[in-house]
Amino acid sequence: MNPFQLLQPETLEEALSLLNTDDPSVRPVAGGTALMLMMKSKVFTPHTLVSLQRLKPSLSGIRLDDAGDLHLGPLASLRDVERSPVVAEFTPVITQAMQTLSNVRVRNVATVGGHLAHGDPHMDLPPILMALDARVRISGQAGEREVALPEFLTGYYTTVLNPSELITDVVVPALPNGLSGTYLKYTALSADDWPMCGVAAFVRMQGGVVAEARVAVSAATERPVRLTGVESFLRGRRPAAEAFEEAAELAAAGVHPLADIRGSSGYKREIVKVCVRRALEQALAARTRNGGVAHE
Amino acid sequence: MSKVLESGVPAGTEQGQVGRAVKRLESQAKVTGRAEYIHNLEVPGMLHAKVVRSTIAHARIRGIDTQEAKELPGVYDVITGEDILKVIPDPYYGPAFHDQPILALDKVRHVGEPVAVVLATDVHVADRATDLVEIDYEELEPLFHEVESAKSETTFVHDVIRPAGTFADLKTLQPRAKTNVSMEYHLRNGDLDAAFAKADRVFEHTFRSQQVSHLPLEPIVTLAQLTDTGNLLIHTASQSPSFVRIEVARLLGWPENKVRVRTAYLGGGFGAKLYIKLEALVAALALITQRPVRLSLTMEEQFYTITRHAATVTIRTGVTNDGRIVARDCKTWWNGGAYADIGPRVTQKSGFTAAGPYDIEAVSLDSYAVYTNLPPAGALRGFGIPQLVWAYESQADIIARELGIDPLEFRRKNILRNGRPHATGTVMEDVGTVEVLEELARKMRWDEPFDHGSGPIRRGRGLAIGIKAAVSPTTSVAFVNLYSDGSCGVYCGTVDMGQGSDTAMAQIAADVLGLEAESVRVIHPDTEVTPYDMATLGSRSTFHMGNAVRLAAEDAKRQMVALCAEQTGFAPEALAVQDGGVAAPDGSFFTYGDILARRFGMQAGNVLGVGSYFPYYKKPDATTGMSDHITPYWMVGGSGVEVEVDTETGKVRIVRLVTVGDCGKAINPGIVKRQLSGASFMQMGFTLFEEMVFDEGQVVNASMADYKIPGFWDLPEQNEVSIVEVPHRNGPFGAKGIGETGSLGLSPAVANAVYDAVGVRIYETPLTPERVLRALREQQGRVWGDA
Ligand SMILES: Cc1cc2nc3c(=O)[nH]c(=O)nc-3n(C[C@H](O)[C@H](O)[C@H](O)COP(=O)(O)OP(=O)(O)OC[C@H]3O[C@@H](n4cnc5c(N)ncnc54)[C@H](O)[C@@H]3O)c2cc1C
Repeated sequence: MNPFQLLQPETLEEALSLLNTDDPSVRPVAGGTALMLMMKSKVFTPHTLVSLQRLKPSLSGIRLDDAGDLHLGPLASLRDVERSPVVAEFTPVITQAMQTLSNVRVRNVATVGGHLAHGDPHMDLPPILMALDARVRISGQAGEREVALPEFLTGYYTTVLNPSELITDVVVPALPNGLSGTYLKYTALSADDWPMCGVAAFVRMQGGVVAEARVAVSAATERPVRLTGVESFLRGRRPAAEAFEEAAELAAAGVHPLADIRGSSGYKREIVKVCVRRALEQALAARTRNGGVAHE
Repeated sequence: MSKVLESGVPAGTEQGQVGRAVKRLESQAKVTGRAEYIHNLEVPGMLHAKVVRSTIAHARIRGIDTQEAKELPGVYDVITGEDILKVIPDPYYGPAFHDQPILALDKVRHVGEPVAVVLATDVHVADRATDLVEIDYEELEPLFHEVESAKSETTFVHDVIRPAGTFADLKTLQPRAKTNVSMEYHLRNGDLDAAFAKADRVFEHTFRSQQVSHLPLEPIVTLAQLTDTGNLLIHTASQSPSFVRIEVARLLGWPENKVRVRTAYLGGGFGAKLYIKLEALVAALALITQRPVRLSLTMEEQFYTITRHAATVTIRTGVTNDGRIVARDCKTWWNGGAYADIGPRVTQKSGFTAAGPYDIEAVSLDSYAVYTNLPPAGALRGFGIPQLVWAYESQADIIARELGIDPLEFRRKNILRNGRPHATGTVMEDVGTVEVLEELARKMRWDEPFDHGSGPIRRGRGLAIGIKAAVSPTTSVAFVNLYSDGSCGVYCGTVDMGQGSDTAMAQIAADVLGLEAESVRVIHPDTEVTPYDMATLGSRSTFHMGNAVRLAAEDAKRQMVALCAEQTGFAPEALAVQDGGVAAPDGSFFTYGDILARRFGMQAGNVLGVGSYFPYYKKPDATTGMSDHITPYWMVGGSGVEVEVDTETGKVRIVRLVTVGDCGKAINPGIVKRQLSGASFMQMGFTLFEEMVFDEGQVVNASMADYKIPGFWDLPEQNEVSIVEVPHRNGPFGAKGIGETGSLGLSPAVANAVYDAVGVRIYETPLTPERVLRALREQQGRVWGDA
């Protein structure tokens, strides 16, 4: 790893002003787990890192607001999220997804903000948050904006963030009654590997038919995506095996996986199909179990 | 004589120290972070070295420009191969061939080959400067596959191949040119054509194993410094300090006594830290700069330093309809990468076991060590045997099923028994082939019905058995020192890299001397203090060093008894050693300290026992490859698994794992068990998903984020280990080695179980979900296209 300078601002304002520069080698760092991998392999060689660690007291809260929306502070560690009773109460799908994310050492330091800002399609939270209609609050010296996750994640390792902006909040709107779901993580190598395919699926039933379905796929795709076609296909249908089968075919046809060491594009498409179908089945079954995560 | 130790049987049922489940002597130091590792060593005035590595797989070097790197503030110096020549005029090293330059000279032969070194007091400055060294290459055609490279008549990785002649078993190697086959081994036993003519059926298959990484968690690290007299002191995480000393002294033209090599605990080795790795380079850098120099590899660099051989095995077997193997012809190509390292020994030592633990009328074996433009391959837990067992035990199942014979029955029919000659001509003695196979069958409950499941998840079970010969001839020497108060120190060159050798050696010495194992101190390898040992490799230490320690302890005991006899007037035969002293027939008891105090008139002196062990060996005949003493002992390992195969994803889950190994005598049953299951888990990674993936010679997954090894969630729900004890006449207390035994049979056991579950045969490791699903779909005629 090359040498670099570490700045440790005490306040958000200070951090934003340090980041407000034209120098492309200045970067914020939170947990550092993603950045360090890139810096060790010299994919990224910054001159200056602006550490957000000292902002932790004000930006790591996990809470429900008056409207019942869930707020995840960007400096909350993934371990904080995993252990938060507020999150578990809100939806156990997030809690359980955290438990199978890499290992406890990574979760102890990796942060929610870094997790999203990295734009890596192999992360476990984005498909869940996307299915839950989460928004990201972004702050810069010029002001604040809120962006829905599908617009936030623009592509392979890219987001809408400007280099001088920070994620300052993640907001998940209160869930409608009766929404049950699951996150299905498929790893091709070791069990604690990054997912080769991640599927978040939520369903709400009414009168024996699917009133609402939400399906998001990640890892096999260039970026996490909501499968709106699959969702509208399912709306109003009885949750029978054939319907899920067809939904899975539809999902597979709509994704364009990239080949890598974890699988060819063709294989990944097959896996998307299997995972979408199984995730829907599990989401439905989760109505009685109050959510869940499956690790394939 | 043989017996099976049930897992879960309470330990310590025996008297004495051998056979007792002594807790590891270093456990507390390790869990409290106090254990000594070379990785943590820093010395005043030390420079850090960072290596500039080739980005091309095969090229001539036109020039190296170090100017810009040298000018970077904080850089002490930049060293190239030309600078090395000034201190070491012939800078080629290696255990089998002197083929590896300390830094590349005329050519680079693999991506990641060291070309230059930057030195700085700040390791990050050194790292930064490595980007500034410009190397001008003239690219050559690279060769990557072992079979293609062996055939090549136009492109050669090495222009001349120079044998080293250091090790007795490799002395017959001859220099060669115009070939990429650095060494070949052939065995011809019996009339092959006649035997094949007797066969009712002949089966021929080709199996492949992939290149994998050892990945010790403590990366390879060396620190060298000059002493006050200008000698070299090398601190290194090495499995073979004695060899490092010999090789560095040879390179420098110095006597051995001017080079001191010491090590500490190793954070894993698995063969990655064998022979000579960074030591020659770091020693040269210390000589050039006259300052202490430290080089510690990153995880990424480990992938470019040493690996396990990929191998192609073509195996042709003739059988009778009633299931007797009558003829076997096996050809193996070992992908040795750019430098031979110990590949030639793998080629020979593994090569001659390629027919498996079976009694076969006629056998022909050909084994080729092949140079390619990939990172060098050397020894990795099992020394090439798992790649061979993968072939012959996968094929055993194919044949058995084709003949309609139960796979276990087929093995029973052909198993090589004691008293029968192995393919090499060596008559089997004290080998647990039958015992291991039967214990495996019992543990697997093979005669009971098995539920194969229905729906998308199918279940299957499989087993396999492998055999390995101990490397020979090798020497171990040990000292057992009884200090003036009677406490005991064991001086031996065996490196404890996590396998528990300190504890085992302490138990052996303690058993002989009537001491508690916990009270024995084991002194870590330091060539200035501990005597010669060939290396910690190939499951040889318990047998060889165990014998040396036993002999040294007996020597010390004899001397103590003689002193006591002199002091008491009793005959030595009348005296008994127990409880850290000597008991006389009249009921009097003298501690070792008492005896020394009486000898020297005060608390003073030592009794030093010396033990040296060198088993008999006869090198294979140059034409037939045969020998009636090919190895001092054999290791036999059996693996059985029950798997679940997800027919929709191809994912294989091992739900039950049974590992059986013959260790002769479990010096420490707890450690033996963990060695067996540890080797099995490691092999599980190689079987299911570990693979170095290359793009034009570059490793695309050279990090622990992308090269995944098994974690806790990958372990089977049921993990059972059985220790079989078939005592060896020459082993210390009957013991044989056990460090690799658990790795031998696992891969084919899994493939056999997958076949049992879903009826597809996989011929190449790893059995990734994609490979398994593709095979399933091919069978069903519906493979996917690109997405
Ligand atoms: C070995 C390993 C295995 C892993 N496996 C998994 C896995 O299976 N599944 C999974 O989901 N994740 C996995 N992770 C990834 C982990 O979730 C991410 O590394 C982590 O979430 C990134 O968080 P961080 O705080 O460490 O980010 P950092 O490394 O600090 O930063 C990442 C990026 O985000 C930017 N950034 C950080 N905070 C902010 C902010 N508040 N505003 C704007 N930009 C910001 C940084 O500038 C940088 O570009 C793994 C990580 C490792 C090291």
